[in-house]
Amino acid sequence: MGNQLRRESQHNQPVLTPITQAMQDGALSRRELKQLMTRSNLPGLIHLFGFALTLICTGSLIWLASGTWWMVPAMFVHGIVWVHHFALQHECVHYTAFRTRWLNEVIGNYCGFAILLPNRFFRYEHCDHHTYTQLHGKDPELIELPISLRKYLWTISSIPYWKQKFIEIFAHARGRFSPIEEKFVPKEDRRSLVIEARVMLALFGAIVTFCIGTNWWGPLFYWWLPLFLGEPVMRIIRMTEHVGRPHIRDMKENTRTNLVSWPMRFLAWNMNYHAEHHYASSVPFHALPKLHRKLEGFVHIERRGYLGAHIDILSQICTRSKKPL
Amino acid sequence: MRGRRVWQDLMAVTELEKGDVTPAKLGSREFAIYDTVDGIRVSLARCTHGAANLCDGYFDGKFIECPLHQGLFDARSGEAKAAPARKSLFMIENRIIDGMIQVYI
Repeated sequence: MGNQLRRESQHNQPVLTPITQAMQDGALSRRELKQLMTRSNLPGLIHLFGFALTLICTGSLIWLASGTWWMVPAMFVHGIVWVHHFALQHECVHYTAFRTRWLNEVIGNYCGFAILLPNRFFRYEHCDHHTYTQLHGKDPELIELPISLRKYLWTISSIPYWKQKFIEIFAHARGRFSPIEEKFVPKEDRRSLVIEARVMLALFGAIVTFCIGTNWWGPLFYWWLPLFLGEPVMRIIRMTEHVGRPHIRDMKENTRTNLVSWPMRFLAWNMNYHAEHHYASSVPFHALPKLHRKLEGFVHIERRGYLGAHIDILSQICTRSKKPL
Repeated sequence: MRGRRVWQDLMAVTELEKGDVTPAKLGSREFAIYDTVDGIRVSLARCTHGAANLCDGYFDGKFIECPLHQGLFDARSGEAKAAPARKSLFMIENRIIDGMIQVYI
């Protein structure tokens, strides 16, 4: 037992988490942190109701515009809302959307299905994103600063994103994982990720077959086309979180919080407070504005919002492209 | 004598954060003391997945959630309850003598 204790103590080399760092920095006390971490189902359920209502409203726009070219902008608007299933899934992956753990699992899996992002796989990938934020070769979600305006627009187009996602899901369904995925997916759990990818593909296959068989194309116009039309907006938002920030461990520097309008905060489930989220990922979405006030001065804030973040990114691209080789 | 275990004082019960998890140290070793619904439990403080300090995690009286990746452990038994946590916590035998929490290490 004594030897085992020694081995365990040595084996688990301590990791200085941002949350511990925040308390050491005096940004917040343990008591304040514990209060902010308190979970509740009610804010999540109210928010979920509002999100569903918004989806019904934007979906109705498509229905009202059916048979006309207005369907395209309607699908785009619906798509902007639809891709924010990601924000809810992200919150569920951290078990912070709801107090009840299984609710996070159920809703997280639903969201993953809605945007073709298997939930269990995303959880593992996201773990390493939090451990190695912005570190080259270690952060599996790292989006590089584009080297040119053309690459910037290419990233926003979502074509590289979808290409990656389709490669991933088909590879996982065949039981194949890339070397970087093998680092964060434990061997013991690979089977469940293979099953997850197969189930998702089978369900999509069944829906497509049903659509062909019945000649009813509801999922295409209310789900898949809006998803692909809206994804560039999600790419624009996701880029604001870390792109253009330094590739270092320091959470004060490597992540950007964006101050945005209430509708965008609502859609993003407060994930615009991204630096605060990285500081303390156990703090639920509804407490992030409070944490933001506590961490004022400790995190990097972009006061001009998403637009300001992209001005920053574009100016860095322009500066870099003017540098002599 | 190396490797021989003895009871050692860890922390007075009065210093505990009631209903929560409290950090404690003995030498270089870090411990987490849980004031669970079933009584006091002690484990090594580091998460068996990513080595974050569990004392900074969310504790509801039964389960401790890692502050870094939200893996879940039963603080009463140490059992890993949810991914990414897979390996159980290293629990430390403890007792209370005259208001002092002691650990057998």
